[in-house]
Amino acid sequence: MLALKGLGKTYAGGVQALAGFTLDAPPGEIVAIIGGSGSGKSTLLRLISGLDAPTSGTVSIHGEAVHEPHPLINLIFQEPRLLPWLSVRDNVGFGLAHMPRAEQAARIEEALCRVKLEAYGDRLPKALSGGQAQRVAIARALVTRPEVLLLDEPFSALDALTRETLQQHLLDIWAQTRATMILVTHDIDEAVALAHRVIVLKPWPGRILDNIKIAYPHRRSGVAFDQARARVRSALHQSLSVPAPADIRTVWAQHPSVLETSP
Amino acid sequence: MTMNALKAGNALKAGSVSDVASGAIDGPSRAAAGSDAPARPDRPAGLSSGRWGGVLIRFATAVALPVGAFLLWEIAVDSGFASGRLVPPPSRILTTLVDLWTAGQLVDHIVSTCLRVLLGFLAGAAAGALAGSLTGYFRVAHAVVDPTLQALRAIPSIAWVPLFILWFGIFETSKVVLIATGVFFPVYLGVSTALLSVDRKIVEVGRIFRLSGFDLVRRILFPAVLPAFIVSLRAGLGLGWMFVVAAEFMGASEGLGYLLVDGQQLGKPDQIMAAILIFAVIGKLSDAILVQATAPLVAWQDNFSRGGL
Repeated sequence: MLALKGLGKTYAGGVQALAGFTLDAPPGEIVAIIGGSGSGKSTLLRLISGLDAPTSGTVSIHGEAVHEPHPLINLIFQEPRLLPWLSVRDNVGFGLAHMPRAEQAARIEEALCRVKLEAYGDRLPKALSGGQAQRVAIARALVTRPEVLLLDEPFSALDALTRETLQQHLLDIWAQTRATMILVTHDIDEAVALAHRVIVLKPWPGRILDNIKIAYPHRRSGVAFDQARARVRSALHQSLSVPAPADIRTVWAQHPSVLETSP
Repeated sequence: MTMNALKAGNALKAGSVSDVASGAIDGPSRAAAGSDAPARPDRPAGLSSGRWGGVLIRFATAVALPVGAFLLWEIAVDSGFASGRLVPPPSRILTTLVDLWTAGQLVDHIVSTCLRVLLGFLAGAAAGALAGSLTGYFRVAHAVVDPTLQALRAIPSIAWVPLFILWFGIFETSKVVLIATGVFFPVYLGVSTALLSVDRKIVEVGRIFRLSGFDLVRRILFPAVLPAFIVSLRAGLGLGWMFVVAAEFMGASEGLGYLLVDGQQLGKPDQIMAAILIFAVIGKLSDAILVQATAPLVAWQDNFSRGGL
């Protein structure tokens, strides 16, 4: 159980990035955090991962307070952040140095299989595409078998097709590991499709605006998906204090001349 | 004409125009994008064709300029266009080299110079790497030591010569210390700045995996600064060759610097040129050895160009 109580962070210079963030994430829950810029999304993950210390509140896992990076918590960054001098295999095994060789090798192969990169173990990061590199980063986080996986917009730099593939991978991994996942994203569809719960943040300082349960099984589609999507969408726009722009299809409908002109 | 025929005609026209346009503008790039594009585009092969052929061509390309210049000068002197009294032609330099070689002195001169550079380089590089690591890693050390070292760096190192002679005498120690001083600063600066500019993002990767202290240095910081360290070693080695001459000017009975002074005092420009030529060759050779020896350590770098010439 990951428990966050009244988390707040004020950076030197007085910028309050996050205030009073409280959340209990039971094992195996996927929580999506969505919000505009300045809503403290990345700050939140830095506090949970122990990279930064909160100015107020606490992070705890299984009742044990987290003050610095914890073995049961791992963070996947927006960029892969692979170490360019290590092969894919050594990058994946980076967090296993304390283990016996055989155990390391077994875990690395298993993680590479999970992200479908078995054939790429000997490559250097410079020979990988963006999507492959991010999969290596995911495998690197998986090998230590974290119970909490923090993901900071992990797919935002990827093209649409690669992103869908990796979202699928992530659900497969979740199905096998049942890790708690805190997924920061700014993609409404991604949040609604993957998470059990979507938390919408409000900026300056970042705080919780809405906490939306998505109580449907995964592989979502149809009316239920559209309803959840619409709710997250309107909450997000409320958080940004701007009226929600019309759906792109409505915009097309208002301009019949555009619709009827095909190239 | 029916509506459909009109549309079809337009479509045809539009299609042909756009085909021509795209064919003319992005024909090659379209062909490239169509294939399963690798993560890194292959670079043009350049002049290299086959392993040894490539090496040979590269060598020939590298020496073409100096060899051409020598030939021109030789011809100019030979045809009486230039006297060659103060700038002796290559044939005379070669004769001088052979004479020095047969007299058995050349090897001694080269060895003693190389030995001084080697010792000075090792000492200076080790001290520079150590001081650079400390100031790059520890904020306090940087605040306390770096300003002083930067001020010392601003002193032309030749200015130390009189002091070093007083301190260490006229023989080998003062020479090696002077060379080490020259090597120290570029290595210090390279290591220190490289450490200070290691990407915070990969250091955070280390922190997430709970590396600290020595492990962080060994597994993240050291590999990250290695390329800059090697560049600073090359700069240091270059300065080492520069300072060995200054060191040998201040009184030596052998060494290439001695050949220079001796050549000047006895009016032997061919001997000066010969010594300069040897400096060029062994300086380049030592740099090439350093580059070749360290290349495998930094092969992971995603460089702009590794292929071609």
